[in-house]
Amino acid sequence: MKFIKITAFTLFTALFFTSCSNDDEMVTPQLQIPLGNYASGVLILNQGNFGTPNSTMSYVSDDLAKFQDNIFGIVNPDETLGDTGQDLGFYGDKAYIVVNNSNKIEIVNRYTMKHITSITVGLSNPRYIAFYKGKGYVTNWGDGGSDTDDFVAVINLTSNTVTSSIPVAEGPERIVVENDKLYVAHKGGYNFGNTVSMINPVNNAITPITVGDVPNSLVENNGTLYVMCEGKPSWSGSETGGKLVKINLSNNSTSSIAFATTSHPSNLVIDNDLMYYTEGSNIYKMNVTATSLPIDELFSTTAQGVYGVYSFAVKNSKIFVGDAVDYSSNGKVYIYSLSGVLKKDYTVGVIPAGFYFN
Amino acid sequence: MSLKKLVVIFLLFCCQYALAQDTIAIKLQEVSVSDLLLKKHSESQSVLKLSDSVTKNNKPSLTNLLNYNSLIYFKENGLGMVSSVSFRGTTAQQTAVIWNGININSQLNGQTDFNTISTRNLNSISVRSGGGSAIYGSSAIGGSVHLNNDLIFKKAISGEVLVDYGSFNTLGTHFNGKISSDKIASQIGFSRNSSDNDYTFPRTNKKNENGQYYNNSLNVNFGYKFNEKHFVKFYNQSYNGERHFSAALGSVSKSKYQNFDTRNLLEWKAFFNAFTSTLRFAHLGEEYKYFENAGKDAFSFGKSVTAIVKYNAEFHLFSKMTINGIVDYTQTKGSGSDLISDVRKIGSASILVKHNVTHWFLYELSSRKETTNQYQSPLLFSMGTVFKPLSFYRIKLNGSRNFRIPSFNDLYWEGSGNKDLKPESSYQAELGHEFFTKNVSLQLTGFGMKISDMIQWKPNLSGIWTPENVNQVKTYGLEVVLKGNKAFGNHGFDFSSSYGFTKSINELTGKELIYVPNHKWVTNFLYAYRRFSINAQVLYNGQVFTSSDNENILTDYMVFNSGIRYGFGKKQNYKVGFQTANITNENYQNVLGRPMPGRNYTFNINLNF
Repeated sequence: MKFIKITAFTLFTALFFTSCSNDDEMVTPQLQIPLGNYASGVLILNQGNFGTPNSTMSYVSDDLAKFQDNIFGIVNPDETLGDTGQDLGFYGDKAYIVVNNSNKIEIVNRYTMKHITSITVGLSNPRYIAFYKGKGYVTNWGDGGSDTDDFVAVINLTSNTVTSSIPVAEGPERIVVENDKLYVAHKGGYNFGNTVSMINPVNNAITPITVGDVPNSLVENNGTLYVMCEGKPSWSGSETGGKLVKINLSNNSTSSIAFATTSHPSNLVIDNDLMYYTEGSNIYKMNVTATSLPIDELFSTTAQGVYGVYSFAVKNSKIFVGDAVDYSSNGKVYIYSLSGVLKKDYTVGVIPAGFYFN
Repeated sequence: MSLKKLVVIFLLFCCQYALAQDTIAIKLQEVSVSDLLLKKHSESQSVLKLSDSVTKNNKPSLTNLLNYNSLIYFKENGLGMVSSVSFRGTTAQQTAVIWNGININSQLNGQTDFNTISTRNLNSISVRSGGGSAIYGSSAIGGSVHLNNDLIFKKAISGEVLVDYGSFNTLGTHFNGKISSDKIASQIGFSRNSSDNDYTFPRTNKKNENGQYYNNSLNVNFGYKFNEKHFVKFYNQSYNGERHFSAALGSVSKSKYQNFDTRNLLEWKAFFNAFTSTLRFAHLGEEYKYFENAGKDAFSFGKSVTAIVKYNAEFHLFSKMTINGIVDYTQTKGSGSDLISDVRKIGSASILVKHNVTHWFLYELSSRKETTNQYQSPLLFSMGTVFKPLSFYRIKLNGSRNFRIPSFNDLYWEGSGNKDLKPESSYQAELGHEFFTKNVSLQLTGFGMKISDMIQWKPNLSGIWTPENVNQVKTYGLEVVLKGNKAFGNHGFDFSSSYGFTKSINELTGKELIYVPNHKWVTNFLYAYRRFSINAQVLYNGQVFTSSDNENILTDYMVFNSGIRYGFGKKQNYKVGFQTANITNENYQNVLGRPMPGRNYTFNINLNF
């Protein structure tokens, strides 16, 4: 008797579940309409998972009143942004999106997101972009396993083609232009770098400047280039602490402030002569002229469950924190006041990698 | 005449049930079959046996065969690329692949890439659902897939040539030869598959780029019978393949991947009155090379070498009970460009009991304990029973504890590996009902499991990715398998349809695991008339989540395949066939950003002599 009951039950549940699987329960994504104007706000580049073409972009207006996710996809339904959105640069009315594992740059109108064209030739493991006199300069790792094929690609912004390349030391990462020179931080790619290259774009002459181990951010302020170096990680077997290096751009002389050996800071930004950086889940603030490090953090993001700040920006009296969550889920963006009071949070695409103020 | 043959072939489609078997069959089976425990200690679980004829009706990759004939979900990075599984809602490392009784999951990443196994040189492939760690060791949580070669001591000489050629310049050539006598049983099989694999993504003008591949596999099996009591058998399989790794949508790729695997097994079996002794030595080698840039010589690599000694003493009591005592020792050395070299030594002892109490009731028990210098292993066990109250109805109940040991990558990846990992472990239970008549059978199986200490790679506070035993997962589901066959006059029909409902929930977040469809449905239909046969396949995969917050999905899809075959010769020894896959040109992906091919064709010839 009991068997029959169990059997009947299993049969019933089977039928029930099968009927569930049919059509009407399937979710159809809602039609989303582009906002039409993505000015006066911040573009958030969501990297997506490495190896998967799920990089996306989100938009938050300056007054935090408007938010839209997947803006590139909504405006350009026939285009795929690609695999691992790495960096975005503005030049004129265009935005250049460097897509690392897709080895390409997508060019869109910075205000409408309308796709203009793609650069797919001449890049190899592209990382970051900067602009100077009608040209784009893009750092490239080449093959990650090779330490001799790294270069800076030079892009003609009229024809949108890579016209030449400048071979550089291994692992070129961040790039900025100051005083008619390119400054490239050699984070090191698959290895650990410890230099910044000063490149003269007129004759491609390179002057290496030694900084700390693994330079991850470059910011210029009042004739000084501030370089945040995170140091070598513990697993490298020769752990080194972080270092904040200041390069005097008039003569390339350097001075530095050292962190503790187990301290690995990143995400340096400067806003109104105040430096901000992150370490783990904490945000720190110091004056650009300070000669010692702050003892206490400005605030911590642990209340929001941020497990290591992934991306970071300070602008318009707001602090922006990108949280990669578990690197599979959609990411989170938290916006704080300058004193660390949470004002707003948004769910964005997978792995928010950078903030670009439009 | 030939119809009878067809009917026999149809019967092979079905699982073999039968509680009691006659002694001659048992003896034959003991001698010829390499993985006896599969037969003897799996009665309380569901085992799907795919015969040679089913295998030949499908493309030669293990992915393709099991995708269309079982409820296992496949995550394939584009056709022919890396292919991992989710069996009963578990992860890729929680399915064991067993070659002639030996666990061959990669020691490096803990899983098997189902596109690196060619089905053409195997005599049978079985899918055993549910826990099996007490017998097969690590990874047998969701289930296990068994690849078997049988050696039969009977005077015979035969050869077979099978050629498949189809779209995207896909060519498979396979040769099998067998020579055997009362004393000797030998087999040799060679298989080569290659493809340009440059398919156009359905309804787009984009092509699969850098997806070309080839692979070769060679099987040599040899058995020698000293006398009625002593047998020695040797099995060898070598595989080498090179795949260019195709790009995800909107991306470009220039990488390629080579892998080289060797498997050797030597077995000495001795039969005494109530005692059978089996001594086995196995040697397994695996090696991969990954070329980030296929045009250059630089590569990264990983390899492992495993040696196994296994002794199995089997006692038969009162002709109704068998007890096996098994001890084994496994030593694995792993190394690679990103691995800290290490040697892992594992010893284990197990006891297996099976008791056919009456013709309508049996139970089976097994227990295994492993010891290793690296981590604590739980006591593994399995308890099952089969009860047949009616001539057409059987009920099966099984409960077990299983585990998955940390892989070399988990433990020793340079800068990331975590030497303090524990094995993942599960408690699970299943209840199966089977209704059967001569021509029709229906199986309903409900299962549930709880897996703790699931290993997950995530960044730690300093941003370094490292594996940790963090997750707890609860999985439950239901499987329905309906089979039927019928022959009358010149007509023969065979039908099988399976539906699986699965939910895998991360207990910490309450969200479902990624890449586990709630629904999967496969149906195979075959109709034969005289020398013609027509087959049709349907595969439905429900939507899957691609992110752990369950916000991103891949939509469901349905794929239809169909083929026709014609037999020549007196005994239909020569067959030609034509198959169409993905008839409706469905644009589908089972891994995000990895579209599968649209409609494509294969022509094949099968010659037996």
